[in-house]
Amino acid sequence: MRHERITKKLLVEPAAVATGDIAFNLIVFFLVCASTQPDTGKRQDLPRSEQTKQQEQKSQNIELALTRTRTVVSLNGDPVKVGELPARLRRLLEGKRSPEDRVVVVKSKPDVPYDHWIATTTLIQDLGASITIQREEERTVVVGQ
Amino acid sequence: MKFKRRAMKADVPSVAMGDIAFNLLIFFVILAKAQDDSHLQWQPAQAKQLQGFASSKASVLIDRENKLHLNGKEIGQAQLAKGVGDILGSAPQGDRTVLLKVHKDATAMYYEAVIEAISEAGGDLVHVLEEKQ
Repeated sequence: MRHERITKKLLVEPAAVATGDIAFNLIVFFLVCASTQPDTGKRQDLPRSEQTKQQEQKSQNIELALTRTRTVVSLNGDPVKVGELPARLRRLLEGKRSPEDRVVVVKSKPDVPYDHWIATTTLIQDLGASITIQREEERTVVVGQ
Repeated sequence: MKFKRRAMKADVPSVAMGDIAFNLLIFFVILAKAQDDSHLQWQPAQAKQLQGFASSKASVLIDRENKLHLNGKEIGQAQLAKGVGDILGSAPQGDRTVLLKVHKDATAMYYEAVIEAISEAGGDLVHVLEEKQ
Protein backbone atom coordinates (compact mmCIF):
# COMPACT_ATOMS: atom_id res chain seq x y z
CA MET A 1 0.00 0.00 0.00
CA ARG A 2 1.30 3.33 -1.01
CA HIS A 3 0.96 6.27 1.28
CA GLU A 4 0.68 9.50 -0.47
CA ARG A 5 2.27 12.35 1.29
CA ILE A 6 -0.16 15.15 1.65
CA THR A 7 1.41 18.51 2.03
CA LYS A 8 -0.85 21.13 3.36
CA LYS A 9 -0.14 24.55 1.95
CA LEU A 10 -0.82 27.39 4.27
CA LEU A 11 -2.64 30.30 2.77
CA VAL A 12 -0.72 33.45 3.59
CA GLU A 13 -2.71 36.62 3.25
CA PRO A 14 -1.60 40.15 4.06
CA ALA A 15 -3.29 41.40 7.17
CA ALA A 16 -6.39 43.41 6.39
CA VAL A 17 -5.32 45.92 9.01
CA ALA A 18 -2.46 47.03 6.71
CA THR A 19 -4.79 48.09 3.90
CA GLY A 20 -5.06 51.62 5.29
CA ASP A 21 -1.28 51.93 5.49
CA ILE A 22 -0.88 50.71 1.93
CA ALA A 23 -3.48 53.19 0.66
CA PHE A 24 -1.77 56.02 2.55
CA ASN A 25 1.62 55.10 1.14
CA LEU A 26 0.22 55.00 -2.37
CA ILE A 27 -1.33 58.47 -1.94
CA VAL A 28 2.01 59.89 -0.73
CA PHE A 29 3.85 58.19 -3.60
CA PHE A 30 1.57 59.65 -6.27
CA LEU A 31 1.64 63.09 -4.63
CA VAL A 32 5.45 63.09 -4.76
CA CYS A 33 5.36 61.95 -8.39
CA ALA A 34 2.89 64.71 -9.29
CA SER A 35 4.96 67.43 -7.60
CA THR A 36 8.08 66.56 -9.61
CA GLN A 37 6.55 67.32 -13.01
CA PRO A 38 9.05 68.98 -15.37
CA ASP A 39 8.74 72.73 -15.90
CA THR A 40 7.70 73.95 -19.32
CA GLY A 41 9.24 76.97 -20.94
CA LYS A 42 11.40 78.49 -23.66
CA ARG A 43 15.14 78.65 -23.99
CA GLN A 44 16.57 82.08 -24.76
CA ASP A 45 20.06 82.67 -26.05
CA LEU A 46 21.38 86.09 -25.27
CA PRO A 47 24.61 87.33 -26.82
CA ARG A 48 27.19 88.45 -24.27
CA SER A 49 27.30 92.18 -23.64
CA GLU A 50 30.88 92.54 -25.02
CA GLN A 51 29.87 90.87 -28.29
CA THR A 52 26.87 93.14 -28.57
CA LYS A 53 29.03 96.25 -28.36
CA GLN A 54 31.16 94.98 -31.24
CA GLN A 55 28.10 94.21 -33.30
CA GLU A 56 26.76 97.68 -32.79
CA GLN A 57 29.94 99.10 -34.23
CA LYS A 58 29.83 96.81 -37.27
CA SER A 59 26.27 97.17 -38.43
CA GLN A 60 23.05 98.87 -37.56
CA ASN A 61 20.78 96.44 -35.68
CA ILE A 62 17.01 96.52 -35.61
CA GLU A 63 15.78 98.37 -32.54
CA LEU A 64 12.55 97.55 -30.79
CA ALA A 65 11.34 99.75 -27.95
CA LEU A 66 8.67 98.53 -25.54
CA THR A 67 6.47 100.60 -23.30
CA ARG A 68 3.68 99.71 -20.90
CA THR A 69 1.21 100.02 -23.80
CA ARG A 70 0.57 96.53 -25.11
CA THR A 71 -0.93 97.50 -28.45
CA VAL A 72 1.88 99.61 -29.89
CA VAL A 73 5.68 99.14 -30.01
CA SER A 74 8.38 101.27 -31.55
CA LEU A 75 10.36 99.63 -34.37
CA ASN A 76 13.46 101.60 -35.38
CA GLY A 77 11.74 104.67 -33.99
CA ASP A 78 8.42 104.18 -35.84
CA PRO A 79 5.30 103.32 -33.86
CA VAL A 80 3.93 99.93 -35.02
CA LYS A 81 0.79 98.08 -33.98
CA VAL A 82 1.57 94.72 -32.32
CA GLY A 83 -0.56 92.93 -34.93
CA GLU A 84 1.59 94.32 -37.74
CA LEU A 85 4.90 93.63 -35.99
CA PRO A 86 5.60 90.11 -37.41
CA ALA A 87 5.22 91.29 -41.01
CA ARG A 88 7.32 94.41 -40.43
CA LEU A 89 10.07 92.44 -38.69
CA ARG A 90 10.08 89.78 -41.40
CA ARG A 91 10.57 92.51 -44.01
CA LEU A 92 13.47 94.04 -42.06
CA LEU A 93 15.14 90.66 -41.58
CA GLU A 94 14.91 89.76 -45.26
CA GLY A 95 18.31 89.49 -46.85
CA LYS A 96 20.08 89.37 -43.50
CA ARG A 97 21.81 85.99 -43.48
CA SER A 98 24.52 86.14 -40.81
CA PRO A 99 23.52 85.74 -37.14
CA GLU A 100 25.25 89.03 -36.25
CA ASP A 101 22.92 90.92 -38.59
CA ARG A 102 19.82 89.12 -37.29
CA VAL A 103 20.05 90.67 -33.85
CA VAL A 104 17.15 92.73 -32.51
CA VAL A 105 18.00 95.17 -29.74
CA VAL A 106 15.14 95.29 -27.24
CA LYS A 107 14.85 98.44 -25.15
CA SER A 108 12.21 98.37 -22.44
CA LYS A 109 10.87 101.10 -20.21
CA PRO A 110 11.20 100.16 -16.52
CA ASP A 111 7.44 99.58 -16.21
CA VAL A 112 7.06 97.02 -19.03
CA PRO A 113 5.30 93.93 -17.62
CA TYR A 114 6.95 90.54 -18.10
CA ASP A 115 4.09 88.93 -20.05
CA HIS A 116 4.27 91.73 -22.67
CA TRP A 117 8.05 91.41 -22.88
CA ILE A 118 8.03 87.63 -23.23
CA ALA A 119 5.30 87.73 -25.91
CA THR A 120 7.38 90.17 -27.99
CA THR A 121 10.75 88.45 -27.55
CA THR A 122 9.18 85.04 -28.33
CA LEU A 123 7.84 86.53 -31.56
CA ILE A 124 11.33 87.77 -32.50
CA GLN A 125 12.87 84.37 -31.80
CA ASP A 126 10.17 82.59 -33.80
CA LEU A 127 11.20 84.72 -36.79
CA GLY A 128 14.74 83.34 -36.52
CA ALA A 129 16.34 86.43 -35.02
CA SER A 130 18.16 86.65 -31.73
CA ILE A 131 17.57 89.29 -29.13
CA THR A 132 19.79 91.43 -27.02
CA ILE A 133 18.72 93.62 -24.16
CA GLN A 134 19.77 97.22 -23.88
CA ARG A 135 19.26 98.56 -20.40
CA GLU A 136 19.35 102.07 -19.17
CA GLU A 137 22.27 102.12 -16.77
CA GLU A 138 21.60 103.30 -13.27
CA ARG A 139 24.41 105.25 -11.71
CA THR A 140 24.53 106.65 -8.23
CA VAL A 141 26.15 110.03 -8.20
CA VAL A 142 27.15 111.50 -4.86
CA VAL A 143 26.86 115.27 -4.99
CA GLY A 144 28.85 117.23 -2.38
CA GLN A 145 29.01 116.35 1.30
CA MET B 1 2.66 33.54 47.36
CA LYS B 2 4.62 35.35 44.70
CA PHE B 3 3.79 35.24 41.03
CA LYS B 4 6.63 35.53 38.62
CA ARG B 5 6.07 38.04 35.86
CA ARG B 6 6.90 36.89 32.44
CA ALA B 7 8.90 39.38 30.48
CA MET B 8 6.92 40.35 27.38
CA LYS B 9 8.84 40.34 24.18
CA ALA B 10 8.19 43.50 22.19
CA ASP B 11 9.63 43.30 18.70
CA VAL B 12 9.08 45.46 15.67
CA PRO B 13 7.25 43.16 13.30
CA SER B 14 9.50 42.31 10.39
CA VAL B 15 6.50 42.53 8.06
CA ALA B 16 6.64 46.33 8.46
CA MET B 17 10.21 46.59 7.15
CA GLY B 18 9.03 47.06 3.57
CA ASP B 19 6.71 49.88 4.61
CA ILE B 20 9.45 51.58 6.60
CA ALA B 21 11.90 51.36 3.70
CA PHE B 22 9.28 52.77 1.31
CA ASN B 23 8.51 55.69 3.62
CA LEU B 24 12.22 56.45 3.98
CA LEU B 25 12.57 56.40 0.21
CA ILE B 26 9.78 58.96 -0.21
CA PHE B 27 11.29 61.08 2.58
CA PHE B 28 14.66 61.25 0.83
CA VAL B 29 13.09 61.91 -2.56
CA ILE B 30 11.37 64.97 -1.06
CA LEU B 31 14.62 66.08 0.60
CA ALA B 32 16.52 65.71 -2.67
CA LYS B 33 14.38 68.44 -4.21
CA ALA B 34 16.96 71.08 -3.34
CA GLN B 35 15.43 73.75 -5.58
CA ASP B 36 12.06 73.63 -3.94
CA ASP B 37 10.30 76.95 -4.47
CA SER B 38 6.77 75.63 -4.33
CA HIS B 39 6.01 77.82 -1.30
CA LEU B 40 6.55 81.03 -3.30
CA GLN B 41 3.68 82.98 -4.81
CA TRP B 42 3.92 83.68 -8.54
CA GLN B 43 1.91 83.27 -11.72
CA PRO B 44 3.69 82.37 -14.97
CA ALA B 45 3.20 84.27 -18.23
CA GLN B 46 1.66 82.35 -21.13
CA ALA B 47 3.18 81.36 -24.47
CA LYS B 48 2.77 78.75 -27.20
CA GLN B 49 4.93 75.80 -28.27
CA LEU B 50 6.75 75.22 -25.01
CA GLN B 51 9.30 72.54 -24.24
CA GLY B 52 9.72 70.50 -21.06
CA PHE B 53 12.83 71.01 -18.95
CA ALA B 54 13.28 68.30 -16.36
CA SER B 55 16.74 69.05 -15.02
CA SER B 56 18.36 72.35 -14.18
CA LYS B 57 21.27 73.52 -12.09
CA ALA B 58 19.52 76.51 -10.55
CA SER B 59 16.15 78.20 -10.35
CA VAL B 60 15.68 81.96 -10.07
CA LEU B 61 12.26 83.32 -9.14
CA ILE B 62 10.71 86.79 -8.96
CA ASP B 63 7.53 86.54 -6.91
CA ARG B 64 4.35 88.64 -6.74
CA GLU B 65 6.07 91.18 -4.48
CA ASN B 66 9.08 91.48 -6.84
CA LYS B 67 11.29 89.66 -4.34
CA LEU B 68 14.15 87.67 -5.83
CA HIS B 69 14.85 84.05 -4.88
CA LEU B 70 17.66 81.69 -5.86
CA ASN B 71 16.76 78.00 -5.37
CA GLY B 72 13.94 79.02 -3.03
CA LYS B 73 16.03 81.33 -0.83
CA GLU B 74 15.70 85.10 -0.95
CA ILE B 75 18.73 86.88 -2.41
CA GLY B 76 19.68 90.44 -3.32
CA GLN B 77 20.01 91.50 -6.95
CA ALA B 78 23.69 92.39 -6.46
CA GLN B 79 24.54 88.89 -5.18
CA LEU B 80 22.66 86.99 -7.91
CA ALA B 81 25.40 86.73 -10.57
CA LYS B 82 27.89 85.39 -8.00
CA GLY B 83 25.30 83.04 -6.49
CA VAL B 84 24.38 81.54 -9.87
CA GLY B 85 28.07 81.36 -10.85
CA ASP B 86 28.89 79.43 -7.67
CA ILE B 87 26.11 76.92 -8.32
CA LEU B 88 27.05 76.42 -11.97
CA GLY B 89 30.76 76.06 -11.15
CA SER B 90 32.63 74.56 -14.06
CA ALA B 91 29.69 72.59 -15.43
CA PRO B 92 30.01 71.91 -19.18
CA GLN B 93 27.96 73.72 -21.82
CA GLY B 94 24.51 72.15 -22.05
CA ASP B 95 24.50 71.36 -18.36
CA ARG B 96 24.25 74.98 -17.23
CA THR B 97 20.49 75.41 -17.43
CA VAL B 98 19.03 78.10 -15.17
CA LEU B 99 15.24 78.24 -14.87
CA LEU B 100 13.83 81.75 -14.67
CA LYS B 101 10.39 82.04 -13.12
CA VAL B 102 8.99 85.55 -13.26
CA HIS B 103 5.56 86.63 -12.07
CA LYS B 104 3.64 87.79 -15.15
CA ASP B 105 3.11 91.34 -13.84
CA ALA B 106 6.72 91.93 -12.71
CA THR B 107 8.27 94.92 -14.43
CA ALA B 108 11.42 95.30 -16.56
CA MET B 109 13.14 97.11 -13.74
CA TYR B 110 13.39 93.74 -11.92
CA TYR B 111 13.56 90.98 -14.56
CA GLU B 112 16.02 92.63 -16.97
CA ALA B 113 18.67 92.88 -14.27
CA VAL B 114 18.10 89.21 -13.42
CA ILE B 115 18.41 88.11 -17.07
CA GLU B 116 21.64 90.10 -17.31
CA ALA B 117 23.01 88.48 -14.12
CA ILE B 118 22.23 84.94 -15.38
CA SER B 119 23.86 85.74 -18.71
CA GLU B 120 26.89 87.17 -16.90
CA ALA B 121 27.23 83.97 -14.84
CA GLY B 122 27.24 81.92 -18.06
CA GLY B 123 23.89 80.21 -17.47
CA ASP B 124 21.67 78.80 -20.23
CA LEU B 125 18.52 80.80 -19.69
CA VAL B 126 15.12 79.07 -19.76
CA HIS B 127 11.97 81.11 -19.14
CA VAL B 128 9.41 79.01 -17.28
CA LEU B 129 6.01 79.68 -18.86
CA GLU B 130 2.50 78.27 -19.05
CA GLU B 131 1.07 76.82 -22.25
CA LYS B 132 -1.39 79.22 -23.90
CA GLN B 133 -4.70 77.54 -24.55
